[in-house]
Parts: sequence; C-alpha cells; structure tokens
Amino acid sequence: MSDAQRPIDDGVPSEQPSTGGAGGGDGDDDNDEFEPVQVFPEAEEMDLRPGADSCYKCSTCDTNCPVAEVDDEFPGPKFQGPEQWRLKRQDDHDIDESVMKCSNCMRCDSACPSSVPLSQMHNTARAEYVEENMSKLSREYLRNRMLANYRRLAPLASMFPRTANVVMGLSVTKWLGEKTLGITSEREFPEFATETFREWWTDRGGAKVENEDKRIAYFHGCYSNYNTPEVAKALVHVYEHFGYEVMVPEQSCSGTPMFANGMLEDARRAAETNVRELAAAIEDGADVIASCSSCSMSIRQEYPELFDFEDTETVAANTWDAVEYLRVHEDLTGALENTAVGDEFDDMAYHAPCHSRNQGLDGQTIEVMDAIDGIDAHDVGDSCSGISGTYGWKEENYETSMKIGEEMFEHMDEAEAETGLTECPTCSMQMEHGTGYEIKHTLEVLEAALGGDGAENGAGSGSDTDAGTTTATESI
Amino acid sequence: MAHDTAVLVLGGGSTGCGIARDLAMRGVDVTLVERGNLTDGTTGRMHGLLHSGGRYAVSDQASATECIEENEILREIASHCVEETGGLFVQRPEDSDEYFREKLEGCRDCGIPATVLSGREARKVEPYLADDVSRAIQVPDGAVDPFRLCVANALDAERHGARVETHAEVIDLLRDGDDIYGVEIRHDSGPGKRTHKSPGTTEEITAEYVVNATGAWAGQIGAMADLDVAVRPSKGVMTIMNVRQVDTVINRCRPKGDADIIVPHETTAILGTTDEEVADPDDYPEEQWEVDMMIDTLAELVPIVEEARTIRSFWGVRPLYEPPGTGTQDPTDITRDFFLLDHDERDGVSGMSSIVGGKFTTYRAMAEEISDHVCAKLGVSATCTTAEDPLPGSENISVLEEGMDDFGLRSPIARRSNQRLGNRAADVLETDEPNPVVCECEGVTRAEVQDAIDQSGSDLNAVRIRTRASMGNCQGGFCCQNMATELHPRYDEETVREALDELFEERWKGERHALWGEQLSQAMLNYALHATTMNRDNDPANGSTQVDYAQFDGGA
Ligand SMILES: Cc1cc2nc3c(=O)[nH]c(=O)nc-3n(C[C@H](O)[C@H](O)[C@H](O)COP(=O)(O)OP(=O)(O)OC[C@H]3O[C@@H](n4cnc5c(N)ncnc54)[C@H](O)[C@@H]3O)c2cc1C
Ligand code: SF4
Ligand code: SF4
Repeated sequence: MSDAQRPIDDGVPSEQPSTGGAGGGDGDDDNDEFEPVQVFPEAEEMDLRPGADSCYKCSTCDTNCPVAEVDDEFPGPKFQGPEQWRLKRQDDHDIDESVMKCSNCMRCDSACPSSVPLSQMHNTARAEYVEENMSKLSREYLRNRMLANYRRLAPLASMFPRTANVVMGLSVTKWLGEKTLGITSEREFPEFATETFREWWTDRGGAKVENEDKRIAYFHGCYSNYNTPEVAKALVHVYEHFGYEVMVPEQSCSGTPMFANGMLEDARRAAETNVRELAAAIEDGADVIASCSSCSMSIRQEYPELFDFEDTETVAANTWDAVEYLRVHEDLTGALENTAVGDEFDDMAYHAPCHSRNQGLDGQTIEVMDAIDGIDAHDVGDSCSGISGTYGWKEENYETSMKIGEEMFEHMDEAEAETGLTECPTCSMQMEHGTGYEIKHTLEVLEAALGGDGAENGAGSGSDTDAGTTTATESI
Repeated sequence: MAHDTAVLVLGGGSTGCGIARDLAMRGVDVTLVERGNLTDGTTGRMHGLLHSGGRYAVSDQASATECIEENEILREIASHCVEETGGLFVQRPEDSDEYFREKLEGCRDCGIPATVLSGREARKVEPYLADDVSRAIQVPDGAVDPFRLCVANALDAERHGARVETHAEVIDLLRDGDDIYGVEIRHDSGPGKRTHKSPGTTEEITAEYVVNATGAWAGQIGAMADLDVAVRPSKGVMTIMNVRQVDTVINRCRPKGDADIIVPHETTAILGTTDEEVADPDDYPEEQWEVDMMIDTLAELVPIVEEARTIRSFWGVRPLYEPPGTGTQDPTDITRDFFLLDHDERDGVSGMSSIVGGKFTTYRAMAEEISDHVCAKLGVSATCTTAEDPLPGSENISVLEEGMDDFGLRSPIARRSNQRLGNRAADVLETDEPNPVVCECEGVTRAEVQDAIDQSGSDLNAVRIRTRASMGNCQGGFCCQNMATELHPRYDEETVREALDELFEERWKGERHALWGEQLSQAMLNYALHATTMNRDNDPANGSTQVDYAQFDGGA
C-alpha cells in the first residue's frame, strides 16, 4: 500500500495560503472572528496520484465491474481510478462525469491483484466532481443529496409511518419523484416500520444481559432502525443468547450512500459522530458489530481511506460483521447443530452482497446455514445485484441496474427456493423487486434457530409488543 | 557557384531547430539535417527545467539574467510546451543559511522574482515535501517539453520555407582548400519523410554557409574537416517517476551538486541529475548506482520518492566547452554559457561556424545571436522576430483558455490533448471519424497519432515525441501495437512491423533501469501479453528460417 492512501493533513489549519505575496494579510486575519477552521483537507485536496503507482494496467478491475459489463458508455474502474488520477495536475479539477455511473459496489477493489486504492479514488473523484461540476441547484444534485441523506428524511417518515407508506406508494408520488427528482417510479419505496428499533430498545429498557467481559456496541445503521427493526431485534436476541451485553450507542448514517453520491462533506460529518461514539464504546470494552454489510465495509475500509479523525483506525480495527464475529468468538456451528427452524423458513436463495465479498465474507452464510436442520441455502453465484444502494433508485440508472441484476434474478429463479437471503438491505430490495420473493436477513434465521421455535419469536410482524419478544428471547 | 541552400544547419536539437526557424523567418533559405529524429541528441535527454535563473543566481549571474529573460519569452511564444509550475529552492536543516541568503540576494540582483516561504508554507504548496525542510525560496521556474518545443520550431521553419531532413547523417564535410561549402549526408531511407525499408541514399548538399549545431558531436563534425572543436561531453542521469509527486520544481538550496532537482513533467516527475565527463557521447556506461544515488539523495527533499515507482531512467550528455587553456578539472565548474566558434577567425577556414555549450532554456537567444552572425556573413539585414512570434500551437492561446473544447473526449483526455496541442487542437481533434484512445496512460487519441504520422512518416518514435503516446506507466506494453496499427494502410505490413519493433526496443532501453517493484511487474505483464497474444517472444515471421507451410494440413 502506498502513502497515497493516507489522507493528507496539512497541519496548518488556519493559515492562509501565502501566494498573494508577503505578510501583509496576516494582520487582518487576526481580526477575522469567524474564520472557519479547516481541520481536514477538502476532498479535492486529497492527492491520490501516488496510488496509481500500483496499477500495472492488467484490466482485471474492468472485467469485474458490473456496470462496465452492461454499459458501454462507462469507461470502467481502471480509467476512473488510476488512469484519471495519473493524468491530473494539482489544479486540474475536471473529473469526468462518468464517475457518477460507478455504483460504488467496490468489486474492483477486491478484484485488483495489486492493491490499487480504486474505491478511494472513485470516492474522492466523485466528491470532487460534485463539488466542482455539478450545479448545486440542479435536480440531480438535490435528488442525490436527498437519497444520500435518506436518514434525515427517515425520522420524519417514521413519525407518521403509515401515512408515509401510503404517500410513498401512491403512483402520483412516484410519478412526481421521477419527473421532478429523477427517482425511478419502477421501484416500491421501502416501508417504514411502525416502531423503530431504537424506540423498541428504549421501551424494552435496553440490554437484558450485563456482562463486563463480553460487550458489543451495535451499529444498526439507518435501514434496520427505520425499515427492518426485525433484523436489529434479531441481532440483539442472538447476541444475548450468547451472553453478550449489547450497547446501542448514538450513531449517524454510516456514510455509504453519501460516498456513492459524492457527498463527502455530509459523509465526513456523519463519520465524525460515529467514530467518536464508537471509540467511546470501544473504550468501555466493546467490539463494534454491524448487521449491514455496507455499514461494516464503510467503517472498516472507507473511513480510514478518507478521513483521519482521532481513533478512526482503532474503530476500523475493532469493527466486525455480526455473523463473522460469532464465528470467530463463539462456536456458532456447534451451537447451531441439531437446531431447526420452523415452517416459517423454507430453503433459501442466498446472494452475497458485494460489500460482504469485499470483506472476504461471501462464504460464511452458506456454511452457517448448513449447520441448521431443515433449511438449505443455495448460493446464487457471485454476480452483483445491481442496485448498489441509492444507485438503482436513480431513473437514469434503473435499466443498467436491472441489467446487472439479471444474472442474479435468473440464478434465484433456478435455485430450489422461494425465499431470498442476504445481509444487505438494498440488495434485498433488488432481490425482492426482481423476483417477488420474500427476503430474509441471516440474523433472522439465526434467531429462529437458536430460539428453538422460530414462529414464537415472530420478530417480523412488527406490531408485537416488547414483552412478547423479550420473553421469547429470554427463553433461548 | 549556385548552392543548394543558403544556410545548412547540422543537428536537429533545440539549437539547430531554433537557428533554422530564426533564419527561415528572416527569409533566408535554410536546410536542416539531423542524423536521427529531431531531439535525438541531448535535447531529448534533458531534465525539462525551464530555468528561472535561480540555479545560476549565485555562481553565474549573466546566465541567470539571460534565463529569466528567456523564461518569460518562452512562456509567451511556446505556452503550449511550457507549464508554469513555479519552483522552490528548499533548505534543509544542514544546508547553509549563508548560501540561502546569497541565493535570495542573487535572485533579486538578476531580476528573478523571489519570495521566501516558511517550511510550513512550502509544505502547503507541496504536501509531500520533507517535514524538516526549514525554508524555501519561491521562483518562477517552469517545466518545458523539449520534444514538442523543438518540433514546433522545425514545423515553423518548414512553414517559412525551410527543408528539414531527419534520419540524414552528415558523413563528410565538403571542403575546398580553406572553404567549407557543404556536406555529404546519408539518408537512412531516401529523402523526405521517413519510410522504413525504403533504400538509403547519399546526397551532397552545398551551402553558402554551414552551421555546426551538433552539440556534443560538434567535435566529430569538426574532425571531418580537420578542425579541432574541444567539446567535453559530460553525462547526467535522470529518473522518471510514474506519477507527479510534486507539481512545482523542487531544487535543493545549496551550491550546485548532484541529484538536487525534481521537475514535474507532464504526467511524471523527473529526478536529476549528475555531471560526469565521458570520452564518447555515443558510448558511455549507464550504471544502476547512479540511479540509486539519485533516488536516495532526492528522498531527503521528498521522502515519498524513496518507495515510489520509477518507470525508466535515461542519460544525456552535455556539450560542455571551454576555450583552449582554461583547464577546468571538475565538469560542474565548466561554464554553462555557449560559444560561437567562427572557424574563419579561429582556424582560417571559411564557410562554417560551430556552436557549443549553452542551455535549452536560452536556445532562442543563442539562435538569435548565431543567426545575426550568419546574416552578417551573408549580407542579409533582416531582424529577428522569434521573441515575439509565437510558435505553432501557441498563436492563440487565449481563445483556447476561454473555452476549452472537449471534442467529445472524456474530460481528462480532452484536457491533456488540449494542453499538448495548444491552438492546433481543433485542427487535429475535430474529426467525423471515430476517435478512440490509443494510449491510455497518457490519454492520446487516434486523431493526434494520425496528425503526428502526417508530420513524420512511419517513424513511431517520432510519433511518440510529438504525442507522448507510449511514454506512460506501461511503457508501450499496451499501446505500441495500437500505434503501429495506425500506420496501416498508409504503410504495408512489413513497415508496420519494423516500426513497432523499433519503438518497443526504444521503450525497453530506458525501462531496463527501473526493473524492480511495480515496474518489474509491468515488464513481466508486458512480456506475457506480447508473447501470448502476438507471438513476439518467438515469431516465426521474424526469424530467418522459412515457415514450412506444407507441414500444415488443409484444415479439413
Ligand atoms: C543531463 C542534462 C540535463 C539538462 N537539463 C537541462 C535543463 O533542465 N534545462 C535546460 O535549459 N538545459 C538543460 N540541459 C542542457 C540542454 O539539454 C542542452 O544544452 C541542449 O539541449 C543542447 O541542445 P543542442 O541542440 O545544442 O544539442 P543536441 O540536442 O545534442 O543536438 C545535436 C544534434 O546533432 C545530431 N547529430 C550528431 N551528429 C550528427 C551527424 N553526424 N549528422 C547529423 N546530425 C548529427 C544529434 O543527433 C543531435 O540531435 C541539460 C543537459 C543534460 C545533459
Ligand atoms: S465500484 Fe463497482 S461499479 Fe464502481 S468502478 Fe468499481 S466495480 Fe465498477
Ligand atoms: S486491476 Fe488493479 S492493477 Fe489491474 S488495471 Fe485495475 S487497478 Fe490496475
């Protein structure tokens, strides 16, 4: 890895560039009360050219890019990353617009045999493109900012979830979305849960297990808080089953959708909160666990590549995927032996999200499922689902997104299963959208298996009371 | 006696091309002959620094003053070949304060704008500078592309009626008693644009006056007419980094020494250099330790270069000269000024002058002085206009800056193409044909390659120096064959093959000195690709033995 991957902190926060000639300006500066202190470099100041040193142009990244495969207009990660960076001079900011077509699936990262920091290059270039080239008033900018900051809208929607769900589902709303904002009308907006995970957690009175030696800080992310609290609850139940004390620290969006939309400043703010809160939890003896593969990816890889808040590295080094952590620290397969799930779970078509693949976790789910009686999980292959977060929501990407997803849809169709399984919320939307299957999260299956009686847990039905769920948990 | 040409210029480096343009613009009939491609000598093997004069501000103030004057002129007349990077003379803790002060004062004495920056301010300009750099002097150094600048001079000379013959080696001077009246040259492939394989010829060109601008080779030319021109060739090594670690010229602020400059050059940064006298400008050792020493020493200024990828190294020879009897021992002490040796005055042999020494930065001023001298000899009274008239490509840069067209290309490629072509961009890049990228590393498109072929024939190295195609990190591995393909159908298969071999060999020559780490991987990948997809490791078509086609069955 080259030095380029370290963000540059110029260490001269408040100093004015001295180009305008000698000292004269300095005096004025002292009087400037509201001189904003720029502690970290702007995205466009990050010099990743040295990262191009590792590229020997083999094009493996291009052949692994799902967007390049279906879209001839997309020049591919090699151009987008090392080539484009190498052609830059310090003052050149004209990033090619094609960077907005990259879905940030990060497959190129794992494909590259030479550790070129591709997604770091894409993320930074995208931010620069947005900063320099995209008009702040354009509908595209507003739409992207809205999609990227979905978390800000979500709390509103979940205050009135039923209304929100109805309104979002209305064809008029969708039509408006497409016409005014460029959000495709082909997709169903995700439903908002009537009770968010955090609400449930507070009502429940927090952790049911206290254990100084086994603590985790749960990074639930936005989606399992607002839309699929059943996944978050499953995590709590499963971890409590293994005797962990679960902490749920303050948190912001992981930043994944913001990176993908080039909103690096928004991502920076979110990341700052997360790093601060998670570092505090680590200080308290916890490891950080995420249930969403993009959230763990973001904290582990993108944060250290793009930011250098104090403790960024520590947080990255102590963050785990929920299933991975149990496989390392517990005898998960042992615990699952002789367990079974009820009729609620059929055989499943499993799609490993790109962001799991990038973390080397694409094989774990099938192995874990194998240990459970009465359920077979079929891997539907290593293709990309094509939605990549907010990417597939954009009107202009919808078709590309569905083309990329085609292979996965076909494999799901061929697999002997009528339910889908994955760990990424947007992959799950795409799987459902393309096949009509119901899609589960691996933690939900684990919860059912370890609880002994999946039906009783009923975490998915939403309107269940805390008491019911908690009791069920305590019985496992 | 009727001559073929009024003035015959020998040598197609910056000096020769500059003189040819100057004289042609004064209406003089000029012919230039060069044994290889333009820039094949020292001009194509230099550091690319457009001196502000800062380097000479303490040791040689006359040169320094001339540098800043010419620096300002070239930024105007050759803006598409010059990048105004600015330069820093950086001081490390162990470097003398006294010298720093002398440098600053020297710059001011010579009219070189100079500002002192704190270490922190300097790192703000160049984030990869070493933490312990304590101060710096900011000066208007620049980066210059010697290839395109030289070619632009030749192109403009031709536009003003000059004849430019490349691949035309001078094999004899024609001397009649005490008068030199021309040369005999050997065309590598018939006169005119180069076409490989066309048979070579020899030609005698007579001239009223001969200008020997063959730099480090001036002694060899002089010897052809029994004249003694005591050039002392001195070699220097330069190493090309894969990317620009710096966007400003970085000089070490201490008395001139080895390995003390980094110049950002196009997509790369060039480390240099050394100074060591050699006996033969065509045959001297190129040693790995020279490269290692340079990287180690310059890492003191920019530590990241220690681990960074280098794509090639090359050596150049300075045409140093000092008048007989000066007796300087160390080549670094020999003056960088140039000398005009009028053989009539010096040796009593009329019809020729030799030019030796000098710098690239001041090529135009040198050419002006020499052209004045030649015009006096010929009785021509026209005045020099090269300081005002822009070179082809820089005639109308303001138009270009206002609205850079993208010609349907992806933005970084459009930007780099525009920067290379200047205001010729529209002529070259506006095309109804498909215009794919031929060289991905440098962002060179088919249209630009075709334009270069129009200028220079089947010679792909000539295409390379005009476009930068094959000068990026794959060093031709991915694009040599694409470039060669562009020669077809103008040239036949055999010619294309030979042009490809020649280009690829040239690329390999410099890459040999960078075979570790990433560039070694690159070389291996290039080898594997060329062997497996083009049979280039052992192509029967290239061998002497005939393929026995009878051994193949009919495919039934
Ligand atoms: C290592 C190094 C670094 C340098 N860096 C800089 C720098 O950063 N900035 C700067 O301003 N200057 C620099 N210089 C100096 C500068 O490069 C030279 O002064 C300048 O390029 C000389 O140009 P020229 O035309 O006189 O010689 P050349 O470019 O050598 O031209 C002479 C030409 O004559 C041709 N020739 C030879 N024999 C024959 C023959 N028999 N028939 C026909 N043609 C023949 C050769 O092929 C050659 O092309 C550097 C020099 C060196 C060696
Ligand atoms: S992140 Fe995914 S879509 Fe973007 S360039 Fe890499 S492989 Fe292609
Ligand atoms: S896979 Fe890596 S080394 Fe190969 S072309 Fe892509 S970035 Fe370069």
